[in-house]
Amino acid sequence: MAVAFTSAFAQEPQVSEDFKSLDQEVQSLKKEVLDLNRELFVLEEELLFPANTQVAIFVSMDVGEFFALDSVTIKLDNKEVANYLYTPREAEALLKGGVHRVYIGNLKAGEHELIAIFTGQGPNARDYRRGATVKLEKGVGAKYVELKISDRASRAQPEFIVKQWD
Amino acid sequence: MIRLIKAKFQFQRIALAATGAFCVALAAGASEEVERPLVGTPQPVKDLHWGDVLFYFYQDDFLQALTRLGAAQDFNRLTHHTVEAELLKGGLYLSLGQHEEAGRIFRMLLNDNVPLDVRNRAWFYLAKVWYQRNYLQEAADALASIRGALPGDLEPERHLLEAQVLMYLGRYDDAVRALERWQPGGKRLDAWSAYARFNIGVAFVRTGRIDDAARLLDAVGQISPQTEELAALRDKANLALGFAWLKDGKPNEAKAVLQRVRLRGPQSNKALLGVGWADAAERRFTKALVPWLELRDRNLLDAAVQEAHLAIPYAYAQLDATRQAVEQYTRAVEAFEQESRRIDQSIAAIREGRLLDAIIENDPADKVGWYWQLQNLPDAPETRYLYHLLASHEFQEGLKNYRDLKLMQRNLASWELSLTAFEDMVDTRRQAFEQRTPMLQQVLDRVDLDGLEAQQRELELRVDEIERENDVAALATAREREQWEKILRIEEVLQRADPSDPLVEEMREKARLVKGRLLWDFNSSYKARLWKVRKELRELNVAAAEARRRWVLVERAREEFPARTEQFAERVAGLKPRIAQLSGRLERAAEAQNRYLAHIAIRELESQKKRLAEYSLQARFALASIYDRASSAAPSAGGTE
Repeated sequence: MAVAFTSAFAQEPQVSEDFKSLDQEVQSLKKEVLDLNRELFVLEEELLFPANTQVAIFVSMDVGEFFALDSVTIKLDNKEVANYLYTPREAEALLKGGVHRVYIGNLKAGEHELIAIFTGQGPNARDYRRGATVKLEKGVGAKYVELKISDRASRAQPEFIVKQWD
Repeated sequence: MIRLIKAKFQFQRIALAATGAFCVALAAGASEEVERPLVGTPQPVKDLHWGDVLFYFYQDDFLQALTRLGAAQDFNRLTHHTVEAELLKGGLYLSLGQHEEAGRIFRMLLNDNVPLDVRNRAWFYLAKVWYQRNYLQEAADALASIRGALPGDLEPERHLLEAQVLMYLGRYDDAVRALERWQPGGKRLDAWSAYARFNIGVAFVRTGRIDDAARLLDAVGQISPQTEELAALRDKANLALGFAWLKDGKPNEAKAVLQRVRLRGPQSNKALLGVGWADAAERRFTKALVPWLELRDRNLLDAAVQEAHLAIPYAYAQLDATRQAVEQYTRAVEAFEQESRRIDQSIAAIREGRLLDAIIENDPADKVGWYWQLQNLPDAPETRYLYHLLASHEFQEGLKNYRDLKLMQRNLASWELSLTAFEDMVDTRRQAFEQRTPMLQQVLDRVDLDGLEAQQRELELRVDEIERENDVAALATAREREQWEKILRIEEVLQRADPSDPLVEEMREKARLVKGRLLWDFNSSYKARLWKVRKELRELNVAAAEARRRWVLVERAREEFPARTEQFAERVAGLKPRIAQLSGRLERAAEAQNRYLAHIAIRELESQKKRLAEYSLQARFALASIYDRASSAAPSAGGTE
């Protein structure tokens, strides 16, 4: 045979030593960047949102059969502080059990009013808009509020639960 | 010739880079349909910040997930998910290529204090760490330490990992036995099992155990192709077996399996070439020409097409069709030279450094990590040859590193902007403190907390005395007290009056009655009044303690606030040069990565050029031989078949 068919296939290049040493350098750099990121994240929170005034609002979902979330608007003491539009990927992450911190800010100790407005698609793919109002008592420590979108199977309707964590 | 490149598990999706000769097999589809949780069965979220980590993790944003996980641990906010958090952290480090850190975390989870299912998963991930770092025996030992089944899709992945590890340890028979134990063969092989069998089959081919290879590859070559991915794997298995049989001198068997390969799939060129060689081996050159002529009009980038350009005139020559042979050899030489010039242009473009940025810009996804796979290639001349390069693990890993470095540079650049805001915040804290201090001092000066506490102590002593002396009048109301004093004064006046005066006697009697009535009132309400006074004292105590506590807090804050502000200032100041230094290092590493990838791209292109040159030489040599024979032979040369 004049031409060997074996030559038709390129050989896979070996992972070279050059690659390994460069890769090791890149891995150690990545580790440093990751550590630095964590430090910056912690500093940001400590500096901008100290624990005694911090308030954070989270959005979570359970089954999501009766409601497909589009956006959440948050008002604190009648002032709009957040308006978040969810991508399908983010909504999917919520359904899998992720919890989104939609707002972090500062509040003085005392009583405050929180209004959350959810928009999306409700049962039978109809546009759906619902609000929930709650009085918050802000104490000395950080205040966490969970806005939970839940399915109320008995009425085939979504349910919006506000849960306060201290 | 046939070389198995070490298959590599990926974290969420398994990507088996298979062979240079026989393809790259990606098992992504095995996990595309049912997405598996990273760490097995997820638990309900009991800490909001754990959910926050998962929110980013489920979006494959591992950098953000790891950052938030670390921060939440620093703030001690994951108290209900301590072990799961560590497991996830190890997994995230693993996904970012941080084997050492991942290994350290998983090893820490291997103690009796953690539940068995966590330990099992830790062993499993540790096995992956070892496997990826090529510590195969350690990987095998780790897998052997798992007790019972792993949750969800981790279980098939575990068996596949076990088979891979045994295969790379050279224990092919054990690997096959492990697979059989897990899932006996058949037409409805699961994707994991099919990939494992394919890889071991190719390994058998490499070691010359063709019959053993045939058993495995033939099974994979006949699986029902429910997905495009399984259809592609089926093609690869048939191709691998076809060429193994060709080499083993069984052209008819080879042809039968090569003909199973889809005509329009990515393996079709190689299959067509092989079918031609199978016929040629049986000296059926006319038949061999059919697939080869089909190949000739396909893209010359493909090595199989290049080889067909030589195989066609070879077949004509074998059929004594000398004129056609000469024509086709001449055509091949021209085609090879043209292609070689195009490769030169691509090499020049890569040398100008445009290669990687063109690739990265073309891909919009903004995530770091191993799972990133290049989805689309830019339509640029220099990327025409990248399809070949992309099959290489080395290039893929380098590209991911380059991409991660660029993403991290952007990440640090955005933090750099934030640092300016942090500095402003520190200044604001300083100014606010300076402004508020005088006001605060005024308030503090107005309040005599010590004096108030002294008064409170005095009050307590008086109440104690009243109780001790049973001084019921002492707890009288202001009006009663006034009446009581008035009575005492009247008594005193009456004391001095003439006792014989009947009017005085009457007055005394009235005063005694009023006094008696008042005393009766005092006595009857004494217990209730004492209880009330005690209660008020207790409340006063609480209020005083709270006032003192707040006082201490304010004092402490006043003392500590400037120090805390300066600590922040120091932290911000310290981070600034670190960001600058790391940014510089990221830039240099990215450049080095770019140069390195350009180097291997050029190396690959040059090897393609070399192959073209060899083919060209073979064509010229064949042409020279034909001319030689023609000049020395009878004038009948040049006829057709």
